[in-house]
Amino acid sequence: MRELQGEKLKKIVAHAYRNSPFYKKRFDEHGVHPDDIRTIDDIVKMPFTEKQDLRDNYPFGMICVPMNEILRLHASSGTTGKPIVVGYTAKDLDNWSEAVARCLTAFGLGRDDMIQISYGYGLFTGGLGAHDGVQKIGGTVIPTSSGNTRKQIQLMEDFGSTAVACTPSYALYMAEEIRKQGINIKSLKLKVGIFGAEPWTNAMRRELEEKLNIKAYDIYGLTEISGPGVGGECECQNGTHLWEDLYYPEIIDPVTLRAVETGQEGELVFTTLDKWGMPMIRYRTRDLTYLDYDKCECGRTAVRMGKILGRSDDMMIIRGVNVFPSQVESILLEFPEYEPYFLIEVGRINNTDTFDIQVEVKPEFYTDQVNELVRLRQRLISRIQSVIGIQPNIKIVQPNTIERSTGKAKRAIDYRKFN
Amino acid sequence: MLIRQISVFLENKKGKFAEIARLLGNANINMKAFTVSETEDFGIARIIVERAQIDRAFNLIKANSYAVTMTQVVYLECGDYPGAMANVLERLAAADISVEYMYAFADSRSEFSRVIIRPDKTELANQIVQEI
Repeated sequence: MRELQGEKLKKIVAHAYRNSPFYKKRFDEHGVHPDDIRTIDDIVKMPFTEKQDLRDNYPFGMICVPMNEILRLHASSGTTGKPIVVGYTAKDLDNWSEAVARCLTAFGLGRDDMIQISYGYGLFTGGLGAHDGVQKIGGTVIPTSSGNTRKQIQLMEDFGSTAVACTPSYALYMAEEIRKQGINIKSLKLKVGIFGAEPWTNAMRRELEEKLNIKAYDIYGLTEISGPGVGGECECQNGTHLWEDLYYPEIIDPVTLRAVETGQEGELVFTTLDKWGMPMIRYRTRDLTYLDYDKCECGRTAVRMGKILGRSDDMMIIRGVNVFPSQVESILLEFPEYEPYFLIEVGRINNTDTFDIQVEVKPEFYTDQVNELVRLRQRLISRIQSVIGIQPNIKIVQPNTIERSTGKAKRAIDYRKFN
Repeated sequence: MLIRQISVFLENKKGKFAEIARLLGNANINMKAFTVSETEDFGIARIIVERAQIDRAFNLIKANSYAVTMTQVVYLECGDYPGAMANVLERLAAADISVEYMYAFADSRSEFSRVIIRPDKTELANQIVQEI
């Protein structure tokens, strides 16, 4: 495996250097040349790539092939209105579907299965990524996309879906709807849940397995690296196997940026070894976890990743959407009426994430006109919804009640329990 | 007559108006009248106190980290008989004045009802009610 990884790394680094002004400049500045890469161990000589690089090079600055070789574009929400964009060649799409197919196979799914894709179809990688993977294993795709829960359930009944792919929180919502409709869960053919795109707990897994009468599996991925399917659980459910011939993982100390000892916690970094449209060299995911190289009881040798323990930045995933407190800050700065101080509170009620933001109106903008304040509040809600993609509940609080930024003010509280 | 009214922004939390009332009570300031407008998310308390105490009340509330504003409103004593209020409001409407909000309070020692009106054209409205 390490030999294969080394060979692939040499090729992808040379490709990136030759075809991307961004990577050439970055490597040159770092004093490293593709000729310095002989084995996979040389990867530590390469500079890191970060999310900000993707934003700075919006939209196509990091694409390393002529645009006519790009077959598809996906994007994920960005912090200041600009999303990050990724482009895939035919080979990239094929490798991605291969990765998803490996996950589905590990979940025990195959050509006899009817798999309902209730991830959103569109720029989000979830829908189409899962879709391609199901086709790869020869299964039947039911492309329902997200939403319209009543119809989702009806098709589940009528078509006899054997698996459903969606976020775990949406699955719980569907389970609740199924119960409300008085449908006997045993009458459905559902047996597997393919859940990802947001963190979830073992308690949620138990609840989903019980309420939906299924086995619930985690599928891991991120847009920058390709989408869902970078890794997935196997029947042992003792960690998430990463397809390391395609996506090479490292764990670094987020402060020193050096590799940690094997098995220690740190920040997960990926290098895409076989992605040509937009290779990612040492991409910092900001996810904190650890790697386990022991052979799994299932027989797979692919390295296993432990639970995501947190983030090395302050990103939160709310209703499946990436949210950075800095997004809220930059939006508040657009409004002369609001102070730039805020407190985000995230919770979960009836399996749906709540997203409250406390804000202060500047003293001179308080008015005794209720309607004006209501309008001011509504303008902020609309703006946040359009930039971040989900609707917040804005709570206007009294002046001077939100903690002022003295270095490290607490700008977000997450009351959800993931561990 | 034009008088000054104190408006206080109230967060959507239990006991917020009680805090204001206690603050004024402890400072020996009597609320002559008040009204609270609320939405799902916040409220605004509008308070009338004795003219001599209004600046003290305003500063006290402000010093305690509340969002407070001072607004000029029209005060009138309206006859306590059927149709009295209608007469006033018709005159205002005829002068193309909109009322943003209003509230009334009684005084057992007087034959009048006391009414506070917040119109869009304050001076004009004041003139009109004085003519009545």
